[in-house]
Amino acid sequence: MIAACIKSIDDRSTHGLSPADEAAIEMALRHGEATGHTVIAVTVGGARADRGLRVALASGVKTAIRVDAPNDTESAAVAAALAPVVAHSATVWCGDYSADRGTGSVPAFLAAQLRRQQALGLISAEFVDPLRVTRRLDGGRREVLRITGPAVLSVEGSIARLRRASLRPALAAQSAEVLPYGTTVVPSGKTSPPAVRPYRPRARVLPAPSGATALDRLRVLTDSSAAPEPGETIEAGPAEAAARIIEVLRGWGYLELAE
Amino acid sequence: MPENDFDVVVVGAGPAGSCAAIEAARSGLRTLLLERGPFPGSKNMYGGVVYPRILDDLIPEWWNEAPLQRWVTRRSTMVLTDTQALTVDFRNEAWAAPPYNGATAHRPEFDRWLADHAVAAGATLLCDTTVTGLLRGEARRSGRVVTGVRTDRPDGDVTASVVIACDGVNSFIAKEAGLYGTPNPKDFTLGVKETLALPRQVIDQRFGVRDLEGVDIEIIGCTGGINGGGFVYTNLESIAVGVVLKLTSLAAQTTRPEEIIARMKRHAAIAPLVEGGELVEYSAHLIPEAGLRMMPEMTGNGLLIAGDAAALCLAAGIWLEGVNFAMGSGRYAGQTAVEAIAAGDVSQRGLRGYASRLSDTFVLRDHRKLRRAPELVLGDRVQHLYPSMITGMAERMFRVDNPSPKPGLRRIFREERKRAGVSRRALLRDSRDAFRSFG
Ligand SMILES: Cc1cc2nc3c(=O)[nH]c(=O)nc-3n(C[C@H](O)[C@H](O)[C@H](O)COP(=O)(O)OP(=O)(O)OC[C@H]3O[C@@H](n4cnc5c(N)ncnc54)[C@H](O)[C@@H]3O)c2cc1C
Repeated sequence: MIAACIKSIDDRSTHGLSPADEAAIEMALRHGEATGHTVIAVTVGGARADRGLRVALASGVKTAIRVDAPNDTESAAVAAALAPVVAHSATVWCGDYSADRGTGSVPAFLAAQLRRQQALGLISAEFVDPLRVTRRLDGGRREVLRITGPAVLSVEGSIARLRRASLRPALAAQSAEVLPYGTTVVPSGKTSPPAVRPYRPRARVLPAPSGATALDRLRVLTDSSAAPEPGETIEAGPAEAAARIIEVLRGWGYLELAE
Repeated sequence: MPENDFDVVVVGAGPAGSCAAIEAARSGLRTLLLERGPFPGSKNMYGGVVYPRILDDLIPEWWNEAPLQRWVTRRSTMVLTDTQALTVDFRNEAWAAPPYNGATAHRPEFDRWLADHAVAAGATLLCDTTVTGLLRGEARRSGRVVTGVRTDRPDGDVTASVVIACDGVNSFIAKEAGLYGTPNPKDFTLGVKETLALPRQVIDQRFGVRDLEGVDIEIIGCTGGINGGGFVYTNLESIAVGVVLKLTSLAAQTTRPEEIIARMKRHAAIAPLVEGGELVEYSAHLIPEAGLRMMPEMTGNGLLIAGDAAALCLAAGIWLEGVNFAMGSGRYAGQTAVEAIAAGDVSQRGLRGYASRLSDTFVLRDHRKLRRAPELVLGDRVQHLYPSMITGMAERMFRVDNPSPKPGLRRIFREERKRAGVSRRALLRDSRDAFRSFG
């Protein structure tokens, strides 16, 4: 199963779904089409939020679920409400901001709740196996990621435009039932999210600093006036250079975990 | 023939459309209400006062639930020249208690509330959907007949026994159905409005009101060389300031509408009211101004036209009422559809009850009574000569010119009439017209 998590706003100045949330629905639908999985849409909010879910239903989402909650529920609580509903969805697509200019933190909280990998603020995705996504980084740089396990993804509005629903499905969606949370959603298959923790290099054993007094030893540990280790420039073919880089990284202790 | 998708399709979820849908759905008809905006009222602007009396039997005690801003308890009519203002101010406390009279309201809220009633009555509301054409077929007896609408969605045709066009001013449906002649720009005005945010207490103090009381000011002589009028309305925490400009007169010169509003806001009589207001919205919309003269034929085979789409807005100087005329005509269109479908005849003949409903009620009776008013009020003399004559008379009456004695009223009148360049004949004719229009 694939889920799209959206927030539908309904006050005087703002209304409906953000472009990012609409894009999340579209990406979930495309992902579903590429993988043959069922797509559900979930929202946390009051009855007025059903309007957003009906947009998703009209576009082809199979099931719409609303967890009833006040509209100003904070991000962590929204994520906590979403977590059990999307626990069986291997991939969860969210928009990276809502129509009321949210902080975009719900997907991050949700990933933490579900103990899953996250990739936030995506600007493109290719539905190959494994899923290949691109994130925007500072300074015009891009980060390309391969998503191998269950994940929470958030997308920018520019990633895709929500398809225009045909008239009949749009009409059917107006009277379709929005499931209140509590209704059992049958999981499509067994997925056991792996435990993913942030990467921490292991501690290295360093020789004790030499020095007669405590102050001297402290100086040795902290003094930056000592000449820094000079950088090394390698002039070699790619294979040889790579071997040298690995050797150095191993010497610094960075590759221990991977090994 | 396969059964229709719906009994009634209503195009446009403005006040006319929602009222038509409420009537149809409450009578058990399968009713579809189509709206091009993301929600009802999202695209709608107006000056700001609704008169919902016509809802009394449709939504009993509407005043307890409608999303309204302030009850209008003060109605002022202001005549301005560059440096003068004469105001006739009427205050009525009874209008702040049931059954009330008029209220300021924000259209996105008001229209949504009405559309919610249509949905509660069983109508299907579909937004983000624009009607792009009429479906037509041949009926044996009545010839060409409207059988539904085409929308901009993929596979977007919907069939219905009756289509009610409530698509607002300059209705493309009425035009497509051939019910309108060529539109004449002379028949339209352009309404332009600024919404200025101000704290509630500041509005209360400046306009001399309390609690939920509000003010409606209609202004003449504030639009420079362009024929038109102005208005100021109080919402709860904002005021609406705008002008209504004769299209042909606006097009004939180069001043832009926002400059005209800016000038009006600088007038000594207006500036203290609007000072410090933060501009939160600027909008513009056409108004069908010419009343009876421009109205289309309102029924076709399988088709009814209501509200602004049928030019039913009453724009007659001190009255600017479109929403109540839209709600009224929408209701009558809905009732007529119910009656025609029950009788199994949705031809123009079968739908003729609509014309008599309009004719027998305020909808056309007010228009007939005030048929000369738009032309009179927007005419050059009312616009450019009378304001100076009237304020000039007031100035002379209140000026103390000692040691000269006070002049008599008749003398003031004669002298000021001449000074303003109004001929006696024209004045007589206009008084007669005014008496006939408003009398
Ligand atoms: C500046 C200004 C001030 C005014 N002040 C007042 C006032 O103070 N009091 C008053 O009573 N009246 C006022 N009016 C007039 C009033 O706004 C109109 O008479 C009233 O809105 C008419 O209602 P309606 O339902 O006929 O049309 P509208 O309110 O125009 O509604 C038409 C609806 O149809 C939809 N639509 C249009 N085309 C399509 C399509 N092809 N497919 C689907 N949907 C479509 C539109 O989106 C809209 O929701 C004012 C108007 C203006 C411009």
